Amino acid sequence: MYLTEVNTLQIIRKQYQFKLKAYVGAFTSLLVMQVTAILFSLGGTGGMSSSDGYLYISGTQYNGSIVIAFTMLWAFISSILITTKAYRNDDFTFVTNRFTSHVSNIYFLLAASIFGGITAMLSGYLLKLIAYLFYNYDAILVTEHAISSILVGATSTIFYILLFSALGYVIGVLVQLSKLFIILIPAFVIGNLFLQAGERVSPLVDFNKVVHFYISESSILLFMVKVSVTILVLFSLSIFITNRMEVK
Amino acid sequence: MSVIKCEKLTKSYGENKALHELSLTVEENKITGLIGRNGAGKTTLLKIIAGYLRKSSGNIEVFSEQPFNNLKVSSNMIFVDDQMNFPTALHLKELLYVAKDFYPNWDMDLAERLFDYFSFHPNERHHRLSKGMKSTFNMIVGLASRCPLTIFDEPTTGMDASVRKDFYRALLKDYIAFPRTIILSSHLLNEMEDILEDILLIRKGEKYLHMPISDVKAYAFGIRGESSAIKEWSSDKEILHQKQIGDGSSYIVVTNTSYKLAKSAKLEQFTISPVAAEDVCIYLTRNEKGDIDHVFNRG
Amino acid sequence: MILHGDGTKPIYIQIAEWLETQILSESIKSDEKIYSQYQLADMFTINPATAAKGLNILANDSILYKKRGLGMFVASNAKTLIVSKRKSQTLKQLVADLVQEANRLDVGEEELIEMIKAESNRNKGEPE
Repeated sequence: MYLTEVNTLQIIRKQYQFKLKAYVGAFTSLLVMQVTAILFSLGGTGGMSSSDGYLYISGTQYNGSIVIAFTMLWAFISSILITTKAYRNDDFTFVTNRFTSHVSNIYFLLAASIFGGITAMLSGYLLKLIAYLFYNYDAILVTEHAISSILVGATSTIFYILLFSALGYVIGVLVQLSKLFIILIPAFVIGNLFLQAGERVSPLVDFNKVVHFYISESSILLFMVKVSVTILVLFSLSIFITNRMEVK
Repeated sequence: MSVIKCEKLTKSYGENKALHELSLTVEENKITGLIGRNGAGKTTLLKIIAGYLRKSSGNIEVFSEQPFNNLKVSSNMIFVDDQMNFPTALHLKELLYVAKDFYPNWDMDLAERLFDYFSFHPNERHHRLSKGMKSTFNMIVGLASRCPLTIFDEPTTGMDASVRKDFYRALLKDYIAFPRTIILSSHLLNEMEDILEDILLIRKGEKYLHMPISDVKAYAFGIRGESSAIKEWSSDKEILHQKQIGDGSSYIVVTNTSYKLAKSAKLEQFTISPVAAEDVCIYLTRNEKGDIDHVFNRG
Repeated sequence: MILHGDGTKPIYIQIAEWLETQILSESIKSDEKIYSQYQLADMFTINPATAAKGLNILANDSILYKKRGLGMFVASNAKTLIVSKRKSQTLKQLVADLVQEANRLDVGEEELIEMIKAESNRNKGEPE
């Protein structure tokens, strides 16, 4: 019987197509998360009011911020989930090695994040539409209606979701490496938060600075570079630490 | 050409050695039966061959490559066992199409015929199947994928007698049409010995026997006769098994070589019988603590 | 035929004996092609290598001959060979066993011959 020639790219593509079908549950949970987030947002995602005695102005904000936050959480959890043994063994039932398994996972997360980002953005507009149709406001102000700003918004949303996805993935991989990380990672995060809250001791990692590094970036291009590099590092790390690990 | 080549292959878990300096070669297009007691290291060996587990020391080559984490080995091999995982989101029929996508030699016609023959429902899901039905479905995937190296680890777990029979017959028929290297592991040799070409017996992680199945049948002889005569005759021979029979006679099993050596001696007084391959395997892998009767001998 | 899986006789010997019987009963005649190892494997659900071993026994006894690229054929004198082989081996062994058992039971030579004659007559009386 002839041996099949190996084509890594082809196997990655097949694994990716397989995962789009097999991990359909991830999209269902995304839908549930986003609908829940929309329900939470119905009361308005922000508001203001002012009065000078004669005139009283009150405004309610409707945007996708809660939906986006929920989508990030979803990306984080889904990424952890697909690193677990049950998912991994599904890959190894068919043709794969560690590398193709990871790369196809990453492709899947990429696709899921783009999908999640776009739907999160759209749900922001859905909220505005609901507010317009079902609430009696005197006036509706729509900000960010230029195509360019919508694109920038969508892109940054997708990149944030990807960032959480990559973070979840590396945490999931670490837990697969050793169950000790289930305790170590939360301990590190919480401990660090405590250190940060108290002013006497400086924290190991200043979360404020980390967050600042990304959110204060005003250039969308530079922001994309920063996030891309981070994601690349996180995913490479995941591939590197599990490459010698046994399966099944 | 050899498909699998191990030299002093060792796999240890801490102090415990699951495989100990195992050296063997499996030739192309043979059906080999891997036999051994529970815990002898059958599954460990198969998982190292499949590239799931890493060797501790020694050497192993599958298709002339190191199998661990190897895409070429994975592409040309399928590993079927009762732990086989399939995504819960997909129906059985969808799983067949996924398999088709991964395995270039996949025979969809065969898969669907077997699927119908064993009355699977296309919309059923793998994790909801009974144990026997799971094994049957896995077997269909294993056969239809037509991988140059097909590994079945305890494939008949949970199957009823008639499905087992069908399985071995289906395997043989497909093998005749498309010869390939097949390894079947089981502790039930009897039910599969007819379709095997070679037998590989391992004991405590070490190779004990690797030979054509027909040679195993001539490996040992059973000799029965009056106890004292048996005792005298066998004093200088390796006895694989012995049993007292109530009437003052004994039954012993000796290897082919000691039987041939002793052919000149007076054997007429004894009854000589062949020993089934399964029994040979049982005697060869027996417990050092003696057989089960020993437990009850509190005398 | 059903093969005996009890291990009393290796499968390939059972295959060889079955083929001999087929030749004796002229189900397969002289210079006809005999079953291939794959046909035999399929018929009896056995490994083709085991079937080949059975065929090779007959080839070694010149009961079968090989035609390059065509397979194995029944020799013209196959029946005679089988008969003489069975006389010299199988029948001889059966007689030896018979005599041994008779000795154990203290059945005399005369009585044994009578029994054989009786059995032989009975078979003639009710042909199968």
